[in-house]
Amino acid sequence: MNRILSFAIRQQWSGILAGVIVGGIALSFATPQFLSEFNWFVMLRSICVSLLVAFSQMVMLGVGQMNLSVGALGGLVAIIVGGLMDAWGMPPLPAILIAIAAGGAAGFINGWLTVRTGINGFIVTLATASAFAGINTGITRAIPFYNLPPEFVAFGNGRLGPFPYLLIIPLIVTVLLAVFFSRVKTGRYMLAVGGNAHAAQLSGISVPRAIITAHVISGLTAAAAGVLAVAQLGSAQPSIGAEWLVISFAAPIIGGASLAGGSISILGTVIAVMLIGLIQNAMVLLAVDPYWVTFLLGALILTAVWINRYRAYRMGED
Amino acid sequence: MTSTDQVSSTHRPGTPAGLLTRGSTQFGLFVILFIMWVVFSSLAPGFLSRFNLNSVGRSVAIDIVVGFAQMVVLATGGMNLSVGAIGVCSVMTLGYLLQMLGLPIPVAILLTLGLGGVLGWLNGFAITRTGVNSFIVTLATASLFTGAMLIFSKGVPLNGLPPELGAFAKSAVGRVPSLAIVALGIGVALYVLFKHSVLGRQILAAGANPRAAEMSGVPVDRVIVFVHVLSGVLAAAAAIMLTAKNGAALPGGAGDDWLLPSFLAPVIGGTSLAGGLISVVGTIFGALLVSTIRSGLLVLQIGNFWLQLFLGIFLLCAILLERYRSALSVRAQTRAA
Repeated sequence: MNRILSFAIRQQWSGILAGVIVGGIALSFATPQFLSEFNWFVMLRSICVSLLVAFSQMVMLGVGQMNLSVGALGGLVAIIVGGLMDAWGMPPLPAILIAIAAGGAAGFINGWLTVRTGINGFIVTLATASAFAGINTGITRAIPFYNLPPEFVAFGNGRLGPFPYLLIIPLIVTVLLAVFFSRVKTGRYMLAVGGNAHAAQLSGISVPRAIITAHVISGLTAAAAGVLAVAQLGSAQPSIGAEWLVISFAAPIIGGASLAGGSISILGTVIAVMLIGLIQNAMVLLAVDPYWVTFLLGALILTAVWINRYRAYRMGED
Repeated sequence: MTSTDQVSSTHRPGTPAGLLTRGSTQFGLFVILFIMWVVFSSLAPGFLSRFNLNSVGRSVAIDIVVGFAQMVVLATGGMNLSVGAIGVCSVMTLGYLLQMLGLPIPVAILLTLGLGGVLGWLNGFAITRTGVNSFIVTLATASLFTGAMLIFSKGVPLNGLPPELGAFAKSAVGRVPSLAIVALGIGVALYVLFKHSVLGRQILAAGANPRAAEMSGVPVDRVIVFVHVLSGVLAAAAAIMLTAKNGAALPGGAGDDWLLPSFLAPVIGGTSLAGGLISVVGTIFGALLVSTIRSGLLVLQIGNFWLQLFLGIFLLCAILLERYRSALSVRAQTRAA
């Protein structure tokens, strides 16, 4: 028991897990609605998109880069999938596949530009974010695609008890990423590049390839998030993705990822997304001004970063 | 010999070689700018109309100051993602002080600049105290500041501001809009700070190599706090100019909209993200380039919808050109030596 406890305390996600549990218990006392099946469904469904958005950034943090175009890319994919089904009358499955592939291609462009031009990835993705958002508004003229196939919308609204069908996709992605980063050579190479690009290069790992791979995976997960957002909303809104930037960094970093690269925690990211979802849910249930979510998210990132620093400092002393 | 020349050109911009490379960055930008003006004015005669030039002049003035707010932090190798958030907080504070409290304009402006400084100080304090990357700290404080502003203001615009403020934004000295003169004045002050003051040189030293600067007696932490305060004050100044231009305090006026322009102007102008290298004149040209593209595309009626796509592509091309040019100039120097 003691060993389990000390293991848990040493894990970076232990604090936020405690936060989720305490917050959940407090909330169930504060409002009985919290425990209702429908509320759980709403909360879990909101977590689906956030989780994929967080993974999209987490992969980039793994190789020590960042992707500011996560939101714009997801928004563009949302428009593509909506446009293919609404304007071109395509059935859902091919539309989804094409849209996800477009997301991967956009990610490849990000990675290729970063590697080939040698420009800082921050600036490259800031520029491509503007370009993707521009294509999005250029195509839609800010008008959403509403006429989506009923089976697609039904999937977005469907549930089994408190569990939304949509949850299947983030769960699959979580498992895939966990296997990828712990068992697959390419995944290990990417973390090595994030930890020390120079050392990785000298050990024979191709740094450019690792960075491009990370961008492609980031693009694919952001694309999946975009498709899920469309299914959840029941329409392809051009504004999808506009608010993803903060959450994409918040969740992995609260979950214990390092901005310096090489260190990520999939479990930590999942718990952090749950914590953020719980806070958003609490704001709705307690009828607090929704603006508080923005404020609390900022405070939460600062606290998490500060605690992680403090812990690293203390563990260094041990 | 070769290597010493290169070192001096990158680390001591005052030497002739440094002036040459830096000078031609701005010259290159100037040429691009000139070509664009010729193209736009020949395609759309309305581009050179007095009305359009005035409107470009006013918006470019704000873009320049927003660019400066980012540039001073880039000088230390950090970044400030909360420039827009400080901007919105300042817009709403100015509106509140003028409309609700009825303070005289100069007092309200001073208090607003003070608020920008305090918010910037919070950034600097959090960064130096925790030792956490400035990116993540300012991402968090941006959320914090925006949230606080929305909680206090409830997102309601204030449009009962004194007319003098709007009149100042519309006024011009000769043919130059007053707002542009304010931006240029700030530019001159920053130029003097970075070129001719100990503090300015310390900021650049801290950006180029913090460890070496620390060992040479530069108080790196205090310098970082200072640039964040300065960045906050500049963001507040841009916010005041924006409020004057709009004639109202709009809660959706700055914020996310400033993120891209704040990086565009300095980076196109040759400021390095790695720190230690900035260009005040380049930032002005960078902002001019962005505003020219934006206004030109609008006058050509390509429409607001595709604008962002072109801005993104132009940004990439401008940086690529600049890379290519600086690689060439380094090669030329090596050959000359």
